[in-house]
Amino acid sequence: MKSFQEVYTLLRRKSRKQYGLLWVCCFFSVLLITAYVCMMRAPTILNVLPEGGDSRKQVMMIFMLAVIGCAVFTLYAASLFLRYKSREIGIFLALGAKRSQLKSLLMGELSAIALSSCAAGALLGAPLALGLWQLFRLWVVDTEEMPLRFDPAAYSIALAFSVFVFAALLLMGRRFVGKTNILDIVQASRKSEPIHTVHRWYGWAGILLVAVGAVLGYSVPSFFILSLHWYPPEGLTAIFYLPVLLGLYMLLLHTVVNGWSRKKRRYQNIVATSMMKFQGRQTVNNMLVMTLLIAGAYFASFYTPMLGVGAMMGYDARPVDYAYFYRDDQDVPREAEVRQLAEEYKVNITSYVEVPMIRLAVDGTYSIETEGKLGVTWQEAYREQLESGLFLSESGYRLLTGEEIDLEPGQIAAIMDAEGQGRGIFAGNAGIVTNTFTEEKRTVNSDTKLRNDVLFGRYVCDDEDFAALSDGLTEAWRETMVFFNVEDCAGSYDFAKALFNRVVDGSGPEVAVLDAWDPVTREWRIAEEGSYWYDDDLLHYEQRNSSEFRLYWKYMPQFQVLDKADFVKTTAVFIMLFVFIAIVCFAAVFVIAYTRCMTIALNNRQVYEDLGKLGASRAYLYASVRGQVSRVFTVPAITGTGVIYAFYAMIMYANDGRLTLSEFCGMGVCLLLILAVSLLLYAVYRLTLRRVCRALDI
Amino acid sequence: MLKVNDLHKSYQVGKATYEVLKGVSLEIEKGQFVAVMGPSGSGKTTLLNCISCYIPADAGSICLDGRELAALNGEELAAVRNRELGFVFQDFLLLDGLTVRDNILLPAIIGGSVSQETERRAERLCRVFGIEHIQGKFPAEISGGEKQRTAVARALINQPLMILADEPTGNLDSKSSRAVIDSFCQARDQMAATIFMVTHDSFAASFCDRVIILRDGQVWRSLERGGRERLDFQDLLLDSVREMGRE
Repeated sequence: MKSFQEVYTLLRRKSRKQYGLLWVCCFFSVLLITAYVCMMRAPTILNVLPEGGDSRKQVMMIFMLAVIGCAVFTLYAASLFLRYKSREIGIFLALGAKRSQLKSLLMGELSAIALSSCAAGALLGAPLALGLWQLFRLWVVDTEEMPLRFDPAAYSIALAFSVFVFAALLLMGRRFVGKTNILDIVQASRKSEPIHTVHRWYGWAGILLVAVGAVLGYSVPSFFILSLHWYPPEGLTAIFYLPVLLGLYMLLLHTVVNGWSRKKRRYQNIVATSMMKFQGRQTVNNMLVMTLLIAGAYFASFYTPMLGVGAMMGYDARPVDYAYFYRDDQDVPREAEVRQLAEEYKVNITSYVEVPMIRLAVDGTYSIETEGKLGVTWQEAYREQLESGLFLSESGYRLLTGEEIDLEPGQIAAIMDAEGQGRGIFAGNAGIVTNTFTEEKRTVNSDTKLRNDVLFGRYVCDDEDFAALSDGLTEAWRETMVFFNVEDCAGSYDFAKALFNRVVDGSGPEVAVLDAWDPVTREWRIAEEGSYWYDDDLLHYEQRNSSEFRLYWKYMPQFQVLDKADFVKTTAVFIMLFVFIAIVCFAAVFVIAYTRCMTIALNNRQVYEDLGKLGASRAYLYASVRGQVSRVFTVPAITGTGVIYAFYAMIMYANDGRLTLSEFCGMGVCLLLILAVSLLLYAVYRLTLRRVCRALDI
Repeated sequence: MLKVNDLHKSYQVGKATYEVLKGVSLEIEKGQFVAVMGPSGSGKTTLLNCISCYIPADAGSICLDGRELAALNGEELAAVRNRELGFVFQDFLLLDGLTVRDNILLPAIIGGSVSQETERRAERLCRVFGIEHIQGKFPAEISGGEKQRTAVARALINQPLMILADEPTGNLDSKSSRAVIDSFCQARDQMAATIFMVTHDSFAASFCDRVIILRDGQVWRSLERGGRERLDFQDLLLDSVREMGRE
């Protein structure tokens, strides 16, 4: 060996584990981010996540958590690597190597590591996402809208993250070699991380901050919108969640440094606690990242059970097996055709009711948004013919539901959902109704509220009013509501499917509209603004099995057996997206926890040897190792799970000021999910513990 | 060879400033084996680190072979460390991934001058220090004494003007310590090496030509061995240490 380059190469070969660890960490971070971003920006996903909707915001929020987590993890891996290299670099400097010489060598190898790992991660990210998605399609559910297409533009975000990894590695390396004091570098590998005094009140203050941050972050945007009439930028509202981060950090710091155990148990865990205390910053940083990722993963995981339980309970609670409605000018099956189709499928219809409905204009308030320097503000405005409402006569309502109802002329009843709520989309407080053809106007009292999930969003009026207000309405403004029950609902799927297809086939292009499309609103929007945005967002009957069609078609029938059987298919993209996110986040947690524990083994090998020399038994050493490894796993797991579960429950409660039965049951199913994931986490913990013990020869 | 004049160095710990060197002055001639002794906190290691150019002094001057070290830039200081100084550390600081022979050659490799002559010199150093048989072994496979003798050989490979040793026997048993001190003596006698050693160990210091005793950041006494027997010189050192303790 005659050149410095050869020496460096030889040393690199001897330290391939450390180089490998850094490479794998960078690769893993870029891989996860690329896979996530490819999925998040895929047109397949964007098509079903409404722009500005909660689902898209949730996906984005978890993505931000994943980015923070992967970034911190990469920085941690880089600092670990440089710490390992410090002795070597220090010796070279002490023996007269020039900083410029070392800098170029270190930069060269860091560049190679960063470039190769980022390139590999970025290249394999899309296949990973695609592979997982294909597995879902193969084993879980496959629908016509599930084939995954990627947007090449997504790679710009993956590229930006790769640039961050590359720049971070080079900057850290540059700063590291640039340290002026050689002694610091020589001694860096032997240095413990200093940790400032951590008072015992940090623990409770942390919990308080987490709670305050969660409440502020959730409620302040609503305050801005409702009280100040201002839609603040999302970046601003995110600031109110910052106390959560600070609180989590304090909570974890207190747990690592002080612990929560009572004084008499202090000596029992003194070795494990003191070792963790003096690697405090790294440990707490790692735990914080894990906590955030666990919280994000659960947030994504809870989506399916909450949606599923709510939907299934809703289907079961429906008062009728089959319900659909149609505009009278459409060629949708009437009673005779339905009965004939039922006969074909050997389905026995036990009851059948058809009831007329009329579409009238109703008054109400709407918001006028203005774009200003500080963002968008809104003002409330009143309009006598704001939108349309579907009206049933009281006798029609009685026929459909069997409920006795007696309304006076001028009195109307709004039909809320089974919980008596308007779901944020139906106020049910019309004061003036108008026949849009005769312009006949009635002032009405809408104080009476009814409850029915299937008829949600409609009004009921006095029979005489109904007859009077129906005058002159064309078929396009008259509709029919059909309710019928069958003998064996669960066994009538094929009939339900055939009837659904017949309803769709019989509907014309004029009703291929979204649920939010409204003929009255359309009229005044076009008159005042020249266009109506829902006209541009039409549905396609050939995509009748897509989630967009099933969830948002204005005339979507409510067939219990069809809705239940097709639930997973209808919501497949949503569910699989959130399952994918959960898998990505949990995988990151497992890798970070494993890496952190193996680092503990590498860093503390000497300490364990010394403890052995002091007479510590294998059992004592094992207990000490277990104390550290279990803390790396349990503290973030308990904190992350507890925080997100409480936060989720808070959101559910805050939606309508109570927990409904379906929400309560959904939260119960989430607990079962937590149990299952905790078992998996426990398995990874046992595997890691075994590996760490093997590395320490315990 | 080495001239230190009125050297000052202080450390900042929080808001407090601790002056560790308070005007140290000393001179070392070529071929001398000099030890610096003193109680903990007297400034021995700080003095060595300043001379090694590891930390900058606050005031005063350090001249090595007529060159003022403070006037040199980073690249020039690196060249001085590589060619004109040789280092021996308490915990050896050998690279675990290199064999004993490669570790010895490392300063020459860093300096970019591994000639056949250098390789012959490495062979000779191995022979002189009795580590010829372990040339192909890695640091993890040899004893503490062998590691330190490897470090001494490494310090000499570039034929430096001076060897700087920081507690070279601090981590060794008495047999290994003796072997390391013998290797310093051999370096002085056979290669005319100049050695500047910081030590707590009066036994190790008793082999030196001169011992400088520091106290509270100043030179308290400088003792020449002269023609004394080693044991007599050790007694003198111990007496001086006792006397310093009484003051």
